[in-house]
Amino acid sequence: MKAETKRRWKKNLKRDKYLLIMILPVVIFYLVFCYFPMTGLYMAFTDYRIGSGLAGIFNSDFVGLKWFQQFFGSVYVWRLVRNTFLLSFYSLIFGFPIPILFAVAVTQLQRKGIQKVVQVSTYLPYFISTVVVCGMIKNFLSPSSGIINQFLNVLGIESINFMSMPEWFRPIYVISGSWQSFGFNSIIFVAAIMGISPDLYEAMKMDGANKRQVIWHLVLPSIKPTIILLLIMTLGSMMSVGFEKVYLLYNTAVYETADVIQTYVYRQGVQSNNYSYAAAVGLFNSVVNFTIVFAANKLSRKITDTAIW
Amino acid sequence: MKKKQVLAMSMAAVMAAGMLAGCGSGNESAGSNGPVGGADSTGYTYAGEAPITKEDGASLKILAQTSNYTNVDIASAEIVETVVADAGITVDWQLVDYANYTDSVSPMLTTGNVDADIVLLPDQDQNQTYIKSHKFVALDEYFSVMPNFSKWLDANPVIKAELTAEDGHIYYVPGTNVGKDYQPVLMYNQKWLDEAGMEAPETLDEFVEMLRYFKEHDMNGNGSTDDEIPMSIMADYLPYMFGPAFGLDIVSGFQADADGNVVYAYADSENFKAYLEFLNGLYEEGLLEVEYTSLDRDQVIERMSKDLTGVAFDFSWAMSMMYSNVLPYYDGTADTAFVGAAPLSSADYKGYYVGRVELGNMFGVCASSKKIELACKFLDYAMSEPCQTMYQWGIEGESYTVDASGNKSYTEQASDNDWLQQLGINPSFVFPAQQSVVSTDALVADWHAECNAWQQQFVVDPWPFIYSTAEESEVINTYMVDIETYVNENATAFITGTKSLDSFDSYIEGLDALKLQEVLTVKQNQYNRYSEALGK
Repeated sequence: MKAETKRRWKKNLKRDKYLLIMILPVVIFYLVFCYFPMTGLYMAFTDYRIGSGLAGIFNSDFVGLKWFQQFFGSVYVWRLVRNTFLLSFYSLIFGFPIPILFAVAVTQLQRKGIQKVVQVSTYLPYFISTVVVCGMIKNFLSPSSGIINQFLNVLGIESINFMSMPEWFRPIYVISGSWQSFGFNSIIFVAAIMGISPDLYEAMKMDGANKRQVIWHLVLPSIKPTIILLLIMTLGSMMSVGFEKVYLLYNTAVYETADVIQTYVYRQGVQSNNYSYAAAVGLFNSVVNFTIVFAANKLSRKITDTAIW
Repeated sequence: MKKKQVLAMSMAAVMAAGMLAGCGSGNESAGSNGPVGGADSTGYTYAGEAPITKEDGASLKILAQTSNYTNVDIASAEIVETVVADAGITVDWQLVDYANYTDSVSPMLTTGNVDADIVLLPDQDQNQTYIKSHKFVALDEYFSVMPNFSKWLDANPVIKAELTAEDGHIYYVPGTNVGKDYQPVLMYNQKWLDEAGMEAPETLDEFVEMLRYFKEHDMNGNGSTDDEIPMSIMADYLPYMFGPAFGLDIVSGFQADADGNVVYAYADSENFKAYLEFLNGLYEEGLLEVEYTSLDRDQVIERMSKDLTGVAFDFSWAMSMMYSNVLPYYDGTADTAFVGAAPLSSADYKGYYVGRVELGNMFGVCASSKKIELACKFLDYAMSEPCQTMYQWGIEGESYTVDASGNKSYTEQASDNDWLQQLGINPSFVFPAQQSVVSTDALVADWHAECNAWQQQFVVDPWPFIYSTAEESEVINTYMVDIETYVNENATAFITGTKSLDSFDSYIEGLDALKLQEVLTVKQNQYNRYSEALGK
């Protein structure tokens, strides 16, 4: 039996050798850029000596959990974890369904010309740099000259100081984020919907289904695996909020809801060249993200029978 | 079939090679720290004047910044090329984008992935991170070939004390900023003041009266009294503007009393509370606008261009170069400009402006360099007087002329800032350039230069630049971020009224819980060391 397995393995290897060669660069890519750098995680447990290169990670003094203790010893740690999680969570809750709904809506448009114009115009904000978007947000929301407050004034509502009120930070972050990315994020769903066989549409039409029924009973079930796949992958970055946007939008008045792990680590770790500290917090983030992805995958398999692995 | 096989194999090979191309490791060779001779292989001895060597083909690698003007190629600017040519060497420039310099070069130095003889530091290395990791040469061991630098240090004992590391060595050649000129100052819209029939206020009470007047009157004459914003101050400048009137240096937060005892101004239970009460009063009355925490310079400039605001606080250079020139009625005179004034005082404290640490960009010689002595000589020459003249004035006959009595003045062409930048003026991105008051005076409006000269009397030295020992760095890194987060957040809450000043005592108790005392002990030790080095 063993000899048989070995023979079959050799035969398969010979048969698929070109495919294997083709996949080799991908394997090398992941080894070099993903798995090999993981050895650097050891830095989180050492007092890394600046200038000592890669080898220095392993030659530096071992300090155990010192950096983790320092992070968890901060009086702000739970606020940071809460803010990071909630910004991601709200972005997911409000930001995730919009591209799906948009993709469904845009694919139902009959005129292809209009469909293309709508798609392109919604993709465009994705390519505006974060710095510019944050500048636009600040200008639009200014209580003295911002267009939003001027509109509120016309309606007889007093100006709101959006950028200095902690309760407004999360809505501003989530809404602007969704506006910027929903068009681009819908591409994959549009592609999935386009992949549905026209025969199925025909069949439903023959059965007298209306548009709502087509969407509910054909389109959404057909793209369910794509939705779940993307949802699980998005869950993998629950504790990784985009640093630049928060950094550009926050100020001391809104720290209560805006200060996240990444901005704190920037102030605490990176600005003072304390890379071991930054590595420790990064490791903590990754462990939490991994746990969420793992749990979500398991849950998805149980509930919907669809999972990534 | 064979074609397909070849194609597949070559594709795989190309893709794999492409991916591995970025993986080269920066390997540093051990540096030579040979004896300091002074003479080069031709027997020529550098004595502080060009050239630094007569050897053929002498060259150095320098890691520095690009110009902050994106259309200027600093390496080929005439001033930079002249300095290099006069030195008798060639330079292999490794220029990293000005805007990303710190973010790019810090990791390079951290990982030891630098192949240069001279490096412009990504920061001032106040925690001695690079010094302790032996990245740079102790320059004082090479002072025999650095006559200009050692002479300059002797003439500037404060800078020498600041540059002397914990181990007694000096590691960096600095560029310098002007410390007392063109600093952050208070400035008023002169036209508004004249229309109100007021002089620039000197006390807090006069200042508040003026703000009230600006708020209630149609200062810009557009028929509405609703659009005037009495003052447009960015949050970072409030400590500069009002702290001194309450006896507080809350710019750095640390200050020493007459006996040399270091205190934390944000923990001053009397004066800091009075400061917050004052600002809270301004906020409640609408004199400090609601959006002050998020206000940025672009917004301030926009308001000025619409003549909406009467008071600003910013670096002095902004006065004629950024704020006045956007006013719709500015005619080049002080009467129609934003004009600098005296700092605000209170009944108890005379106001002042907080100056800037003079140390600017720092250049070090890499310990791994094989040309340490040549690099030291070049840095020394680059900070010599003829070079500094070139950095500040440009090329004689082109950008400036010298009259019979030796006074310099810019040529007509030098008034074209774009041309002057192309020439490489003030090349602090690549050389240890010293900012000059005289040459800056010549660039700004005459009334502005006069105003700066007058305001200089109000500027005091900031908290000094002091190196931290390893233990001190650890204490500061561990506690200071939380303390600053706590202080900034609470100050904003007290000013905006989201937190009542009745709870000020619990704020002070909170500071103790954040281990402020340990940080103060460190700061006291540092200050003692600094005073000792100064011979105080």
